[in-house]
Amino acid sequence: MMKPFKILAGVFLLMVTGLTISGCNFGKTSEESRVSLVQSVNPEPAAVEGNKGNGLKTAEKVKKDIQAMPAIFDVAVIKGEKEILVAYKVKHMQRFQMKKIEKEINQKLEKNYPKETFIVSSDFKIFIEAIELKEKVKENTYSKKRAEKQLQKIIKLKKELT
Amino acid sequence: MGNKKMTPAQEQYKKLEQKHETKRPVLKNCLKAFLVGGIICVIGQAITYFYIYFFHFTEQTAGNPTVATMIFISMLLTGFGVYDHIGQFAGAGSAVPVTGFGNSVISAAIEHRTEGFVLGVGGNMFKLAGSVILFGVFSAFVVALIKTLLTMWGVL
Repeated sequence: MMKPFKILAGVFLLMVTGLTISGCNFGKTSEESRVSLVQSVNPEPAAVEGNKGNGLKTAEKVKKDIQAMPAIFDVAVIKGEKEILVAYKVKHMQRFQMKKIEKEINQKLEKNYPKETFIVSSDFKIFIEAIELKEKVKENTYSKKRAEKQLQKIIKLKKELT
Repeated sequence: MGNKKMTPAQEQYKKLEQKHETKRPVLKNCLKAFLVGGIICVIGQAITYFYIYFFHFTEQTAGNPTVATMIFISMLLTGFGVYDHIGQFAGAGSAVPVTGFGNSVISAAIEHRTEGFVLGVGGNMFKLAGSVILFGVFSAFVVALIKTLLTMWGVL
C-alpha cells in the first residue's frame, strides 16, 4: 500500500522542483513580465523605431486613451511600422464583458486615429510578449528591423486560434 | 414505479426501509466535490500559465496542451491507484473535470486486462469514455452546423 504513494510523492517532488528551477532560470527573463501575472505593472509605451520620430508620441497617446477606460487596468502599446499593437488586461469582475470591451476599444481607436491600423488583444501571452519587446527596444538590444520582425511574430501569434 | 398503487405489504416495507436507510450527507458530499473539483481546476490553471510562460501558447491556444496534460496526469494517478481514493472521497468533483475521462479510460483498461490485449484492453478501454467521445463529437457537429447556418443567413 505504501509503494504507490512513494512513487506518487516522487513524481510530484520531481514536478515541483522542476517547475521551481525552470521558473528561476530560463523562460522569461525580465522581472516585469514575470510579476505581470499577479499585479499591475503599467508598462511604458514603445515604438520599434526607438525614441526618434513621432512613433513614441503616438504610442503614448494611445496608451493614455485606453488607460482612461474604467474596465482596464494595464495597457501595453507597441508602435510598429504599419500596425500598433495594443495589449490590455481587464479587471477581474469585468471579464464577463470581454467582447463588449474589445468592441469599445476598437471603436474608440478607430474614431481617434482613423489613419492607423490597430491589433488589439486582451490575451495575457500577447501582453507579456509586448513587455519583452518593449524592454528589448528600450535597452537598445534590438535593431529596428529585428524589433519589427518580433512585432510581426507577436501579431501572428495573436491571430492563431488553434 | 412511483405512480403504481402499492399493496399494504409493500407500503409497510417501504416505511421499514426508510427507517433503516442511512441518510446521505448530501451537503457534505457537495462541499467535498466542490473543493476537490476546484483544486483540480486550480492545477489546470497553473498548467495553462506554465504553457503561456514557457512555450509559445496564447490564452486562446494553451487550452489544448493543458487538457492533454491533465488527462495524462490522471491516467498516471489511476494506474498508481491513487485516483480511486480521490474519487471515493470527492465523487463528482473528480469525475466531472476532464481528469475523470482519463480515469475512466485507464480503469476500464486495467479491469479487462486479464481478457487479453485485443479483446480485453482494446475492446473495453473506451467502454465508458466512448460515450463521452461520441456525444462530444456529435454535439460539436450540431453546434457547428447551427453556427454555419446562422452565419450563412447573416445573423451572426
